Amino acid sequence: MTKFTRRTMLKIGGAAATLPLIGSRAFAQKDKVRAAFVLIGTPDDNGWNFGHDQGRLAMIEAIGADKVETTVVTNVAEGPDSERVFRELAQQGHDIIYATSFGFGDYAHKVAKQFPEVKFEWATGNSTAPNLSLYNAKFHEGRAVIGTVAGMMTKTNIGAYIGSFPIPEVRMGINAFQIAARKVNPDFVTKVVYVDSWFDPAKEADAARALIDQGVDVITQHTDGPAALQVAEERGIVGGFGQGADMSAFAPNAHLTAIIDNWAPHYTKSVQSVLDGTWAESSVWDGIASGEVMIGDYNAKVPADVVAAADAVKNAIADGSLHPFAGPISDNQGTVRVEEGDIIDDGEFWGVDWYAEGVEA
Amino acid sequence: MSVELMIAIFITLVGASTPILLAALGELVVEKSGVLNLGVEGMMLTGAVVGFAVTYNTGSPWLGILAAGFAGAAASLIFGFLTLSLSSNQVATGLALTIFGTGFSALFGQPYTGKPLQLFKSIFPVELATHPFLKVIFGYSPLVYFSLFMVFAVWWFLQKTRAGLILRAVGESDLSAHSIGYSVIGVRYAAVAFGGAMAGIGGVCFPLLLTPQWVERLTSGRGWIALALVVFAAWRPFRLLAGAYLFGLIATMELYAKAAGGPFRIIPSEVWASLPYLATILVLVLISLRRDGSASAPACLGRPFVPSN
Amino acid sequence: MLYRLEKRQVPSRTMLYVTPVLAVLVTMVLGAIIFSAIGFDGPAAVREIFFTPLTNHYKWQDLTVKAAPLIIIGVGLSIGYRANVWNIGAEGQYVIGGLAATGVALATHDMSGWWILPLMALAGAAGGMAYASIPAYLRTKFSVNEILTTLMLTYVSVQVLNYLIFGPWKSPTSFGQPQTVLFNADQTLPYIIPGTIVQMGAPIAIIVALIAWLAMGRSLFGFQIRTVGSAPHAARYAGFSAKQTVWLALLISGGLAGFAGMLEVAGPFGRMVPQFPTNYGFTAIIVAFLGRLNPIGVVLAGIVLAITFVGGEVAQTTIGLPNAAVGIFQAMMLFLLLAGDILVRYRLKRVITKPATGAA
Repeated sequence: MTKFTRRTMLKIGGAAATLPLIGSRAFAQKDKVRAAFVLIGTPDDNGWNFGHDQGRLAMIEAIGADKVETTVVTNVAEGPDSERVFRELAQQGHDIIYATSFGFGDYAHKVAKQFPEVKFEWATGNSTAPNLSLYNAKFHEGRAVIGTVAGMMTKTNIGAYIGSFPIPEVRMGINAFQIAARKVNPDFVTKVVYVDSWFDPAKEADAARALIDQGVDVITQHTDGPAALQVAEERGIVGGFGQGADMSAFAPNAHLTAIIDNWAPHYTKSVQSVLDGTWAESSVWDGIASGEVMIGDYNAKVPADVVAAADAVKNAIADGSLHPFAGPISDNQGTVRVEEGDIIDDGEFWGVDWYAEGVEA
Repeated sequence: MSVELMIAIFITLVGASTPILLAALGELVVEKSGVLNLGVEGMMLTGAVVGFAVTYNTGSPWLGILAAGFAGAAASLIFGFLTLSLSSNQVATGLALTIFGTGFSALFGQPYTGKPLQLFKSIFPVELATHPFLKVIFGYSPLVYFSLFMVFAVWWFLQKTRAGLILRAVGESDLSAHSIGYSVIGVRYAAVAFGGAMAGIGGVCFPLLLTPQWVERLTSGRGWIALALVVFAAWRPFRLLAGAYLFGLIATMELYAKAAGGPFRIIPSEVWASLPYLATILVLVLISLRRDGSASAPACLGRPFVPSN
Repeated sequence: MLYRLEKRQVPSRTMLYVTPVLAVLVTMVLGAIIFSAIGFDGPAAVREIFFTPLTNHYKWQDLTVKAAPLIIIGVGLSIGYRANVWNIGAEGQYVIGGLAATGVALATHDMSGWWILPLMALAGAAGGMAYASIPAYLRTKFSVNEILTTLMLTYVSVQVLNYLIFGPWKSPTSFGQPQTVLFNADQTLPYIIPGTIVQMGAPIAIIVALIAWLAMGRSLFGFQIRTVGSAPHAARYAGFSAKQTVWLALLISGGLAGFAGMLEVAGPFGRMVPQFPTNYGFTAIIVAFLGRLNPIGVVLAGIVLAITFVGGEVAQTTIGLPNAAVGIFQAMMLFLLLAGDILVRYRLKRVITKPATGAA
């Protein structure tokens, strides 16, 4: 759908604006870091952008407002418009610029080349440069935890997953959810509905209605916003999960728990390394173990044994004794994809184009 | 497919169709008076955000609907003043209204993003509204009954009342209507304001009927579908109802079919998404092939009225 | 004492050129007042949106990038609108033009040569023309209103884009993300000034506007377009075919929109992505009107709109103004311009109110 305006709002956080620190050499120690966050939406979306903004706030808390000053640009379109924003921020003398969406990558790379002294980090990206690093979080680890909850709590044995478009991250989220649910409930199936739109809350809500009318009683979504959860609440099904942030305000009864994006550890580490002059090209992909992915509070109606099982999965993933994609895994056509004793490692992850056994897509 | 599922699909499709139906009904009256207002999306967003704010602050969806109607009408009067009093170009003014409504709603709605609301549910006794079969009659939001009533009301007004006859005359031949002594501009102002009110109420269906929240661009382009629908229905209220539910059926069946799984994806979803627009073009061609002219566009559509006094 | 509008014998040329300037100026004043009233720093908002982009050479580059497609599409639309052909689906023709150019780029991805870019440009223009020929055919053959068909086809074009980049055109190396491969050097517009981001689009936009200005003012073609639009009866006597004019208007506006699509995909985008439709086609409608449907005016209007976009971002970085404000400023500018149109056709005349003599 066509949108006529793109809102790009910028807030100045931290201390009052100081003079631009133009000309500072890369890898030098710094007294104060200027960090900029470029968001695709607004921090009050209760999802992806909210998570990044919370991470920023926690980072300021940890580093100290006297050591870091932040700028947030919101609702930046993924296209040449973002290139302009990156250049503007680089010119203003920011030391490090966080591009928090995949579609920003090409333009962050272009500007990174023009401003070799400015550091860039590209969330969910796939290519680095000497002054451009990658960071991402293993949300599929969180999916494995909520899959466990779903598998144990469902009465109909039918769960659902609402996504926007079939991209690898979404597909692997579905697989992690289904594989974990099957482990605790061999009859569990996951119905997948893609709404084929980047943004359409009303359609997400109708997708949730279509799923619930066909027997789904636990629902999860890969789209920002609470539309599906609100339908779960209205229909009184077993429940759903917050995505990106705790969404219990929208669905006090249906909200079982949430996968919470916690970028605070990464942002703190990253800004600290700029302060110390130790920042280097890297590709970070952390998950539950280092706190990037957190599981929210459980609803009071989630039984103690379910909480215990979910926590066990969480802890096992954290200590490395459990891998969400450990074999044996068959796909939904019956083909064995991962042998017993094997895993899908981080490199193979992005090439997966099949759904796990029990996924109906 | 069980009867229960069919009822469930029907209820979902009626919900999905209602905002489009309401906005399109308003636009139908506007176009019948000879005016083309492309600002439907902007008026819907204006109504949605104002209706949300009033409902959120007062707790009364009734007041929210009323406010949405007034907000939509107020927005439409910007368009009305420019196109009717100052005879500006309708296409450009309508587009400007959409840009304005999108910007206004985003700015005005900022404090309401991330605030939960309750859906405006059926006002019938809960035994009827949730009865497995009777809910097909009683299980809807008051907005749905309102939209059905308005289909009838608009039809009755256009076909059975003297005022409706005048409105159609103004749309078909403004100069003749003017020479008989009717106020062409006055009639069109009334039609534009009505269209704005209906678009505003159509907009507030999003937070009250579909997804109880406010976010920027909540209507996701439904205003443009409403514009297509008026043409698809050949400017007739009951065809508009049928057309709205047909559009709703296409959109809803896609979701139900995906949820059911199976070999549905043989037809790419892009084809489904294009269907309403392609169907509208087809209808336009079919209308033009009819020789009796009974279904054609109002003769003065989009033309500014300049009396040669 | 009252003022009354009195119809002018001939439209005022002075007012024709003064009103767009007035519209921009009044927008600044009104905008400053309104945004101050709702709690923002109104004067600063106006300063940042309208003036800061002009004070910095980096911003000048941004303006060229943003204005070029608006001007190219706006010029095409203004020619059509002069002929009373209401193509409001330039966005769709822009998308299809971009896709056609992408098709050439993907087909020639392993090749190199100077001929690739011109071929992409041809494909882009042809794609836009082909897409605009659908409403042209429907209008001339079936009298179907082109406002509605061009708009409907815009939404279909986005689905075509989605289908291609989620399916056959998806890059094998993009980790499954919906995008094509990055175009190679011979498929990407060169920067015309080293060390800047100014690409071919900017000079091309100026050239397109100049050609259109000459053609509209000095050729039989321009006369035909203007006559058919303003005096259909006279045009018929002059032997101008209304159908031919519809075709010309749609092919030109569609072709230019498609060409702009090629310049964007081969320029700032560098590959086809789902975010390609950026509303240039719709914004260009404002540009066409703000530019008085005159190619030179369109150049100025394109720059003004580009300033508001670029300035909108500045206003957020410096004074925290929400970008929704930019839309409001743009809409206000257009409202005021359209309202000001009345001064072209009418003059304000002071009338002395007679004392009322009894009931009317």
